[in-house]
Amino acid sequence: MRQVIGRLMAGGMLAALALSMALQAQDFKLFDRTVQTHGFGSQGFVYSSGNNWLTMDTRDGSVHMTDVGLNMSSAITDKFRAGAQVYDHNLGQLGQWHPQLDWASLDFRAKPWLGFRGGKVKTTLGLFTDTQDLDFLRTSALLPQSVYPIDMRDANIAHSGGDVYGRVPLAHGVGKLDYTVWSGHRNDSMHGGYAYFLQYHGTLENSYGGLQYGGDVRWETPVKGLLVGVSRLDEDLIGIGTRAGLPNVEKTKKDFSNQFFGQYIHRSLELNSEFKRQYRDHILRNGTAEDQGNLHAWYVAGSYRIVKRVSAGGYYSHYTATSTFNKILDTSLPNGHVYDKAISGRVDINRFWNVKVEGHFMDGYALASFPEGFYPQQNPTFAPTTKGLVLKTGFNF
Amino acid sequence: MKSNKLFFVASGLVVFASLQAFASDVKVIANSSVTASSVSAGDVKDVFLLDKDSLGGSHVDPVLSKGGPAHEAFLKDYLGKNDAALQAFYRSLVFTGKASMPKSLGSDGEVVAYVAKTKGAVGYVSSGASTEGVKTLVVK
Repeated sequence: MRQVIGRLMAGGMLAALALSMALQAQDFKLFDRTVQTHGFGSQGFVYSSGNNWLTMDTRDGSVHMTDVGLNMSSAITDKFRAGAQVYDHNLGQLGQWHPQLDWASLDFRAKPWLGFRGGKVKTTLGLFTDTQDLDFLRTSALLPQSVYPIDMRDANIAHSGGDVYGRVPLAHGVGKLDYTVWSGHRNDSMHGGYAYFLQYHGTLENSYGGLQYGGDVRWETPVKGLLVGVSRLDEDLIGIGTRAGLPNVEKTKKDFSNQFFGQYIHRSLELNSEFKRQYRDHILRNGTAEDQGNLHAWYVAGSYRIVKRVSAGGYYSHYTATSTFNKILDTSLPNGHVYDKAISGRVDINRFWNVKVEGHFMDGYALASFPEGFYPQQNPTFAPTTKGLVLKTGFNF
Repeated sequence: MKSNKLFFVASGLVVFASLQAFASDVKVIANSSVTASSVSAGDVKDVFLLDKDSLGGSHVDPVLSKGGPAHEAFLKDYLGKNDAALQAFYRSLVFTGKASMPKSLGSDGEVVAYVAKTKGAVGYVSSGASTEGVKTLVVK
């Protein structure tokens, strides 16, 4: 049944592509206010040698990489806006075509330096957390997985709560500061990577989420095109499920992330780099076990628009993680890291439709407190290295 | 003596150029409801990058051209972005619920007609385009 739905979604996506080219983004009036509609979608094919990747049977080639989104929004007054976006996707065993409310928010911008946003809000964390689904914004088919793992998107992509934000010009021409302070509730899909990972360890989650709060400050420096910033995330989570038929609870003792980032854009060149450190101490199995994990992740990435419709890029992504419970303590071993070298090309067929090709050369398969793209369910035995090819097409209007 | 004359003429040209308003192949136009008559280049950039929604106390909304020489000149002179980067910038805001996509029109004539009839609209056209019905902002 889900395969039928998948085929229908893919067909629908193609139809939406054709429609988007014909209609472009649509505006209509509602109670004398203009409502804009926009949408996007993508379809990927992934092949790998070594390990199966991202819960797909990629060693045989897989097309189970599809997503679509549709939003509507309106400026109710000059300072007050409202909107919502629905999102649906399938990534191997994840997503499984369960539509989600991606975001739905009310936004009041009292002043350029003070605004308030509430509802289900995309989280401002690092360069790309809030835009990680928006494939059409980038040259690469996949963001560096060390910092933006596609299989773990539920972890921090959005929170149900509120933001206070603003943009402050600095004196003496030293640039501008953007700030966001936020707090809310995280509620993971039971079709996400962590719930799927726990199934292998005998735990069936019914719910996973909790309080998240944090902040982000970024400085648009006086050097034209240079942005630097820092983000912080703290969370207090609880997972409720069953294990061997009995109730099972997992709770946070301490869990925080610090993320430092920089971006430089000059004409057709874009350079990005981030470093993330996460410390995670969780009480497992109804308080009978504890897992302390340390994650260090960073990447350097570059892309260049060669001509108007062709761009190329690449990145090096570096991920190491330890877990005391899973006895992953030596990150030099394959189960303690993933080092990924990627190279990408993108062609814009027109302003709505793009095609990408990307190669990955990965060392390691990191199996610490949570997965990093490689799951025991698809890999009864792990190979130390994986090569991956991603072909992807996407549209937006 | 001849070299002194040349020196003074050249100096005069430099001084003259520095005193001119921001020179470009485009002119920035606004609906008559916009009270400001002159703005800074920084203010124009802030309006079109959605950092600022008022000029001289009047609410403003940016209006874009879809392409063409005026569009390219405006992006280069005022925003420092190419069209692909500008579209990506707007889309990153639209698809995260933080902004609406600015109105985008196909020709100078369409931009002028839209700005003339739309309260708060601010756009740009080629420097030789007719601007009947709208005000031209002096950009310093």
